[in-house]
Amino acid sequence: MLTMMITGAVVLGFISFSSMFLIWWERKVSAHIQTRFGPMRVGWHGVLQPIADAVKLLLKEDIVPCSVDKRVWWLAPFFVVVPSVMAFVSIPFGKNLIAKDLNVGILYIIAVTSVGILGIFMAGWGSNNKYSLLGGMRSAAQIISYEIPLILSIVTVVMFSGSLSMQKIVEAQAKCWFIFKPCLAVAFLVYIISATAEVNRTPFDIPEAESELVAGFHTEYSGMKFAMFFIAEYTNMFIISAIATTLFLGGWRGPLLPPVLWFLIKTYGIIFVLMWVRWTFPRVRVDQLMGLAWKVLTPIAFVNLALAGWLLLK
Amino acid sequence: MKHYLKNLILGPISLIQGLIVTFKNLVSRAITLQYPTQKQPMTPAFRGLVDLRPDKCIMCYQCVKICPTGCLAIRHEESPEKKKSLVTFEYNMELCCFCGLCEQVCPTIAVYMNKIYEIAVYSRKELHINLLSTDKYAQWANPTVK
Repeated sequence: MLTMMITGAVVLGFISFSSMFLIWWERKVSAHIQTRFGPMRVGWHGVLQPIADAVKLLLKEDIVPCSVDKRVWWLAPFFVVVPSVMAFVSIPFGKNLIAKDLNVGILYIIAVTSVGILGIFMAGWGSNNKYSLLGGMRSAAQIISYEIPLILSIVTVVMFSGSLSMQKIVEAQAKCWFIFKPCLAVAFLVYIISATAEVNRTPFDIPEAESELVAGFHTEYSGMKFAMFFIAEYTNMFIISAIATTLFLGGWRGPLLPPVLWFLIKTYGIIFVLMWVRWTFPRVRVDQLMGLAWKVLTPIAFVNLALAGWLLLK
Repeated sequence: MKHYLKNLILGPISLIQGLIVTFKNLVSRAITLQYPTQKQPMTPAFRGLVDLRPDKCIMCYQCVKICPTGCLAIRHEESPEKKKSLVTFEYNMELCCFCGLCEQVCPTIAVYMNKIYEIAVYSRKELHINLLSTDKYAQWANPTVK
């Protein structure tokens, strides 16, 4: 019981710290891409800015708009955050640094992270606001569409590794990272594009779409509840990058440095690419988004899967 | 099908080109300044506040005559030896339209426009400036929060 509590506290601490660091890093990356400085005032190069923001959000009044569906509206942020935290159970940070190496690890992660969409839809529905509802609906359509190429690309990895366990997938990459195998390189590209859409990040951020939906599903949220959506967004980004690291980049494997450091370097490297993409590309339209999922990524993922099968049987 | 394949090939190429542009920006120097610790030097033609070199003034009143808003007020006195000396040279910044005509008309370049641009004040009284005072623009040259 005590071990479980300590593990839980460590995971929560890591999530909070990682989210705050990622928020600061994203602001810095975006600023430098736009040849600005970004936060510079609070601490060295603004490193303490996320703490100041968090304190501000904690101290803010918890406003409940009068016409919201209170129960649904109140529960939504928890439905978004809890699945992201649950996914940490089977992420291998090191050889023995994993909360529980489930034999269906990757399936478990896909299953629990898919629950997050329920929270987003609840937020959209419960807000009783047309923009929020549109955001929630778009998010549901988007996540359901992109789940297919995402899972197909993961299936390719599972076919090569012969296991759903995250540690066994890492072990299967002892000789060569999966990203260097032809079929799996394509699977990686499909995965990273679909995963970006899964976590509603630009250029696939139509559920939020500040300029058209006024932040979408979280328009009516403020204070700590808004912060929970924010934390969930950055936690989800960490999770998809951690999965990409585990499935395609050899997980915690690497020379000289400790395994956990290798894992974090690779994961934050992918996160940097996601940030770079975010601040480069404009948002796609809804029809373009659906077209990309159904007409491009899904056929590619299917062909890639068939090729992988043929390669394995050859 | 041809269009589909063309997009499939050309699309990623254009995306990579975009990523290269932003990466170059990422590693280049920021063009913004850390105001107020760093400040942009003003251009030579910039017209800030009206300023005066009292020793050069010949009391010709050309600046007062040409000022379209009447923001300058001068008074001088003459000694028995017919020597003129300035008594007051008031500048009402509240009325000034920063047109620079006073600077252009001054025959001795006694009146000129300086480069001060941070000219917010806490009361209207502070907008009435005695240009003969030695510390006339001290508050703007070294701004402090009151």
